[in-house]
Amino acid sequence: MSVSEFILELKGITKIFPGVKALSQVNFNLAKGEIHALMGENGAGKSTFIKVITGVHSPEEGEVYFEGHKVNFKNTRESQKLGIAAIYQHVTNYPDLSVTENIFIGHEKVSPVTKRILWNDMHKRAKELLDSVGADIDPKVQMGTLSVAEQQIVEIAKALSMDAKVIIMDEPTAALTKTESEQLYKIAEQLRDCGVSIILISHRFEDMYRLASRVTVFRDAQYIGCWGVNEITNEKLIYAMVGREMTQLFPPKENKIGKEVLKVEGLSQTGYFADVSFNVRQGEILAFTGLVGAGRTEVFESIFGITKPDRGKIYFEGKEVTIKEPLDAMNMGIGYLPEDRQKQGLVLQWGIGQNITLATLKDISKAGWLDHKKEADVAKTLAEKVTVKAVSIFDTADSLSGGNQQKVVVAKLLASDLKVIILDEPTKGVDVGAKYAIYEIMRELAKQNYAIIMVSSEMPEVLGMSDRIAVMRDGRITATLEADGITQEKILEFAMLEKK
Amino acid sequence: MENKRIIENKKQFNLKQFFFQWEWMLVAVFIIVNIMNTSLSPYYLSFSGIMDASMTFLDKAFMVLPMVFIIILGDIDISIASITALSSVIMGVAYNMGLPMPLAILLALTVGAVCGFINGTLIVRFKELPAMIVTLSTMTIFRGIAYIILEDQAAGKFPEWYSYLGWGYVGPIPFMLIAFIVFAVLFGLLLHKTTFGRSVYGMGNNITACRYSGIKTDKIKVIVSTLMGVMAAVTALFLVSRTGSARPNIAIGYEMDVIAMVVLGGISTLGGKGRMLGAIISIFIIGLLRYGLGLINVPAQALMIIIGIILIIAVTIPNINLDKLTKKKVAA
Repeated sequence: MSVSEFILELKGITKIFPGVKALSQVNFNLAKGEIHALMGENGAGKSTFIKVITGVHSPEEGEVYFEGHKVNFKNTRESQKLGIAAIYQHVTNYPDLSVTENIFIGHEKVSPVTKRILWNDMHKRAKELLDSVGADIDPKVQMGTLSVAEQQIVEIAKALSMDAKVIIMDEPTAALTKTESEQLYKIAEQLRDCGVSIILISHRFEDMYRLASRVTVFRDAQYIGCWGVNEITNEKLIYAMVGREMTQLFPPKENKIGKEVLKVEGLSQTGYFADVSFNVRQGEILAFTGLVGAGRTEVFESIFGITKPDRGKIYFEGKEVTIKEPLDAMNMGIGYLPEDRQKQGLVLQWGIGQNITLATLKDISKAGWLDHKKEADVAKTLAEKVTVKAVSIFDTADSLSGGNQQKVVVAKLLASDLKVIILDEPTKGVDVGAKYAIYEIMRELAKQNYAIIMVSSEMPEVLGMSDRIAVMRDGRITATLEADGITQEKILEFAMLEKK
Repeated sequence: MENKRIIENKKQFNLKQFFFQWEWMLVAVFIIVNIMNTSLSPYYLSFSGIMDASMTFLDKAFMVLPMVFIIILGDIDISIASITALSSVIMGVAYNMGLPMPLAILLALTVGAVCGFINGTLIVRFKELPAMIVTLSTMTIFRGIAYIILEDQAAGKFPEWYSYLGWGYVGPIPFMLIAFIVFAVLFGLLLHKTTFGRSVYGMGNNITACRYSGIKTDKIKVIVSTLMGVMAAVTALFLVSRTGSARPNIAIGYEMDVIAMVVLGGISTLGGKGRMLGAIISIFIIGLLRYGLGLINVPAQALMIIIGIILIIAVTIPNINLDKLTKKKVAA
């Protein structure tokens, strides 16, 4: 096979971040005028891969060929110059600037002599580009006034303005309605017919079936395979994405399920989730899974009092309750381990001890006066209980590894007198050893009759740890399943596929 | 393999760390300022000399104490001098209209509290607005009201005993200094020894994490702003006692002096860092520096330049030091 057949080809790409292999010997190729889907679970390495293509990261090993020539991009400017453009999931635009300014930012048309910006030329060219993708958008309006779909089209026009030959679309339809997606599909097809190549990253099977001719799957930073879209089935694809051996071991279950502690009925928050109902019992581990953006975190932030739900009822130990702020939830006995431990869980500049007692200052004080001796004792006991690897409780939180930071946040939860513990992605960015320690703590808590809710995107831990599994998709619970005998394929079906 | 790790919970005394504190720097500067003043005026270095000098700047010192809290929260309040003006004007007018002086004083404190409460409520209600902008608006509003009430008149003729506040002595020590020490101790304890103070530090470092930890962050901000208002009114009491009359144009520029004292005290405007002691030493550094330069008739404008330069030096020194230290570590 001659190299020049492909506009872009990557061979044996390995990218290592401190402590993690983000990509391991992956391959990918893209033909001229092809739409090639790239799929994989959260954390499979797709984003890192895109960043290697665009020059944000340079790989430790492997080669990148563009139009048959070996290239080595050091930054995005270099890749852009050759015609590679990426459109990201979270559109990175300037909402207060006009559409024209957004399209030409960084490569404005200027008069060669006076360096004056040629507004008329730019507006005209912007209009041409938008027309060429069949979009009726006034280039003079503010970007922020456009819908997400329109903003995405502007981003595509921006790519075209730089004569892009390869356009990378990262979850382009994630925030779009059906009709908007349809419009985007048409634009993508049109570009393809003009000879532009597209790398499509999407969790939605609909997108891939509709547009792509081939699909490449990554899993755990590895290249799994590449198939023609017409020769692959849902089952085959899901197996390719998740079908790993269970390499992690989970501590054995020792819990007895008791009576119901928390019940939620018809909880809704416009734009985020709708009609969420579930319950959780003493000693039970209930997993909440689904794709990133399915609305899981939003549900629990509203239960914990960070945001307010629009509708719905919450019952705690059989009584209907209103939770206005986190303190209400905590006083009742509901604790929440937030998703982002650095931003929401820890005061990074502080020592472990002060972090552990932050949520329970009442318990280490008398009439508002801090009892430093008591604080030190409480902190020491809890830090040792969750096995934080640190020398003293005065070690600052930012000096710890991700796993140990997470243990500190768990210790902070344990300082309160809780009955329900909500853990949002408790093992995200945590190394294997610390993961196991966190699982052990969860098992121990379940054994002590805590009701535990674990929000997690990682299939193995969902299957390995939980008693029941609630699956969310687009803000709704699509299934609540008993964990016994369930398969990853089944869960992914509820998480990804539109209900028939 | 699962042997229990022991985690230390006693603080080790570290001599280097002990001396590597901003407050020692301030003590050094304080001594330098005093040496300078002594060489400028042979009458300066006496106990009563320094006591007299302190009375020229202690009025604003009352506002430094709550401002430490506000800046640790990562906010700022530039309306404080206007609150001082408004509460003094209302006190003066109320007294002249026949309200007994003790009640007029109480009224002034209430006005301060209400102004502070308004600031705090606006700040937590409109989170997208920086505290600077909110208090910039209330700064003009509060002083505007003071002008409407009194135009460019003065209210005064206060009872004899009221002048004791600003001029009186307890033995050899000014009453004002004693009052300040009492407040300083109270605020210092509140900041360093209570759950309230701990929460304030936490919020200055990471307000989101505090919210997720069940701390009533809005309530704390409103309380701190209210305290700020009350102390601005306390400043009004002493200032009016010293000047003898209440005018709408008093205390102009006080907010800048107060903020300068706090920042020089090592309290980071980014929030979360600094101690009460540093700010207290800084009050005396800036206050005595002003007094000393006043002795040799340096004009007020030049004083402002000097204080500005000291501030820039003060806030850049720790940054320069840190940078160099870390670089050395990397090289080694």
